[in-house]
Amino acid sequence: MIPLSLPAVSDAEQPFIARLRSSATLDLGERDALLIDEDEVGGSYAAADGLFAIDGVPAVQLDGDVVLVQPGPGRIERLLRAGSRHNTLLVTERCDQLCVMCSQPPKKTHVDRFDYLEQACLLAEPHSLIGISGGEPTLYKKRLLSMVERVLTDRPDIQFHILTNAQHFDDDDIHLLRQPLYRRVSWGIPLYASDASMHDEIVGKRGAFLRLFESFGVLLASAARVELRTVLLTSNADELPALARFISAKLRFIEVWSLMQLENTGFAKGRWQDLRYNHGSRFEPVAEALDVMNLNGVAAQLFNFPRCSVPRPYRNFAVASISDWKRKYAPACVTCTERELCTGFFEWHPSDEAEAEVTPL
Amino acid sequence: MIITPLRLREHSSAGTLCVNDTGRFFGASPTFVARLTNDDLSVEDEQFLKCEGHRISVDDKFARFAHLYALSERVVQPTTLDYLILVPTLRCNLSCSYCQVSRAGLRQKGFDWTEDTLAAVLEQLDKLPGDRIKIEFQGGEPTLRPDLIRAVIGQCERFAERQFVICTNLQVVTDEILAIFDRPDVFISTSLDGNAQTHARNRTADTPTTDGFFANLKRVIERYPAGKISALPTIDPESPPDIDALIDSYAALGLDGIFLRPINYQGFARKRHRGSREQGEAWRNYYERAVRRIIQRNWQDKSRILEETYFSICLRRIFHPGAERHVDLRNPNPMGIDYIVVDHDGTVYPTDEARMLARSGVVDLSIGDVATGWNGPARETLNRCSTNQFDPACRRCAYQPFCGRDIIDDIARYGRIDLPRTETEFCRRHLHIFDFVFELIYSDDPAVRYSLARWLRLPATPERFGIRHQ
Repeated sequence: MIPLSLPAVSDAEQPFIARLRSSATLDLGERDALLIDEDEVGGSYAAADGLFAIDGVPAVQLDGDVVLVQPGPGRIERLLRAGSRHNTLLVTERCDQLCVMCSQPPKKTHVDRFDYLEQACLLAEPHSLIGISGGEPTLYKKRLLSMVERVLTDRPDIQFHILTNAQHFDDDDIHLLRQPLYRRVSWGIPLYASDASMHDEIVGKRGAFLRLFESFGVLLASAARVELRTVLLTSNADELPALARFISAKLRFIEVWSLMQLENTGFAKGRWQDLRYNHGSRFEPVAEALDVMNLNGVAAQLFNFPRCSVPRPYRNFAVASISDWKRKYAPACVTCTERELCTGFFEWHPSDEAEAEVTPL
Repeated sequence: MIITPLRLREHSSAGTLCVNDTGRFFGASPTFVARLTNDDLSVEDEQFLKCEGHRISVDDKFARFAHLYALSERVVQPTTLDYLILVPTLRCNLSCSYCQVSRAGLRQKGFDWTEDTLAAVLEQLDKLPGDRIKIEFQGGEPTLRPDLIRAVIGQCERFAERQFVICTNLQVVTDEILAIFDRPDVFISTSLDGNAQTHARNRTADTPTTDGFFANLKRVIERYPAGKISALPTIDPESPPDIDALIDSYAALGLDGIFLRPINYQGFARKRHRGSREQGEAWRNYYERAVRRIIQRNWQDKSRILEETYFSICLRRIFHPGAERHVDLRNPNPMGIDYIVVDHDGTVYPTDEARMLARSGVVDLSIGDVATGWNGPARETLNRCSTNQFDPACRRCAYQPFCGRDIIDDIARYGRIDLPRTETEFCRRHLHIFDFVFELIYSDDPAVRYSLARWLRLPATPERFGIRHQ
């Protein structure tokens, strides 16, 4: 697992954003922190806001990272790792839904870090795709959109992918969201069933389905880009074909439907046996749902499905979706010829299950 | 207010086929149709119709937008010219009985592009805004002028995506022509009516000419990878070739796509093949038998997938709105916007058929010329009518979302475009083909489902292609 947070000491009084540089380059900016000393397990940096030293990872692995230096707790957070396609910024831990399988259970308090995140985005590598997640980012919709617009305006090379439960869009947003710069934003939005009560039960909020479709109306009118997401659960597995028909009839404007296998963390960890649908032992509902999508010409993909667990005709829908920093493979995967294409397992996936589930290709 | 924008058509295997304005469909039982027409829908009916997008409350903003979005997917709106059919010469070294363009003799003067015409074509290429280009060289026999082909291809280097199709009879293939064929962005399209006997009947006539063609066809097929070469048969509906013999001649050459075209009512065919004005029951029977035979053969030999090209186009138009860019079947069917034909004298026509009509002296449908442009009142007039959207018969038709409009075809056959739609050959032909496609969509035969899935380029074979509601 790649560490996203590291111990650090700093003489600064306030947290600040810095981009780590191992060597002086011509285009050194005011937020660049230059490496001044290093050993095998860390380095010391000089930044405009003060000196700091990072412990635990050799400096060469951090070169180019955009970090938040937090002198108080004595840590740095690697907000945007150089060279990674999996950088996601967490804008809040509050949420107004309580999904049964939530991988990042919400907290009641909100720490506003938008100013730091905005600075970080402006320092991102060229042509970055930056993920935004929560909690529920649109609980702070106004600040979120102002950050996104500022970054997109200053950095025409950057794109955002924002995960949201879409409970907070309304008609007043249309004039904003239809601006051309929002072509560089895609919204990842969950829908768990075509049946309102089943969806509401899974997300733990009555009326969520209805509110979601109000938002879909807003997003459709704004020509917004939407990635629809469905987590596979024991409760909705048999409903997937009906959901696929519903999507192919009424949500044709989406860019892609991502059907996601469960992540063994957060609430799902304690409810694993109840929630986890083993597609390896019965793939039929997934296959039928994919058939419906393909037949009707709406794109679909499988997230978190190891390739060997997917029957051959559907294997190319299984994409390497698990972020690099939390991905692992089973020992038997060493000999697999499709490992490079495969999503593998979440770091926290039960090892005995992973071992039992793989058959190297 | 609630709308239920369904059109109904009695159908042999679907029951009552119900299709909404966006092309979403289901097969219904007589009892459902009774409930629908008597305004006596059950709660289950309403739920089903709502989920499938057939029943829309106009107060429900999302449902209304979703419906409009699906409708818009059915509407073609090309804006950029990126497809040119070029006729560098009208001269030809063959004299086929059904030649559609009334070709000129091999040694006749004045039937090739002049230097000025070439210069004007190259200038137009330079002006194109996009980074994609498709050029089809037609004739006459375009390979009589390799210099002109080279000049055009040379001017296209700047396009990121290029495709050149040379429509040739492959009668004479010199080293100079081969060098052009060798480019990976060049594709070969030829005519192949069936086996040697059938091919000779209307095209090559004598044995040496016939043998020469087959030797050249074999040579290029062996020389290039699959997909480089395609062939089209022209079929005389009054004496069509044996179906298996026709399929065999294609399969033996490694050609998987067969476009079963009856003789086009154009050019010399108007005189020599009078029966081609209307395609009768006999042709439709032949066509269905051929498609069913291809299905059987695909099921028996799974190592390759044969297909009838036009059937696949219609099938894909049903399920994949917007994916197909076949200019002979689309709606609206704008003229002189995304593709044009430049004739041997620089005249610009909206379609190849329009060129043929002018050549046969029926009616001049040219819209301009390559030097001075084609953005004038002639194009405007054609485009005002080139849609099925507001036609009273089409608006009631279950197949309208999948169908197209071809006013050039109407003019060719009837000299007018205002006949009731249902009295036109275009309409009869497409009613027949869509009835046939839906018959197969609602077939339970695994062999049929297998071929349909392959023709739709699906990774697996679905359990069903069409749903039913009782």
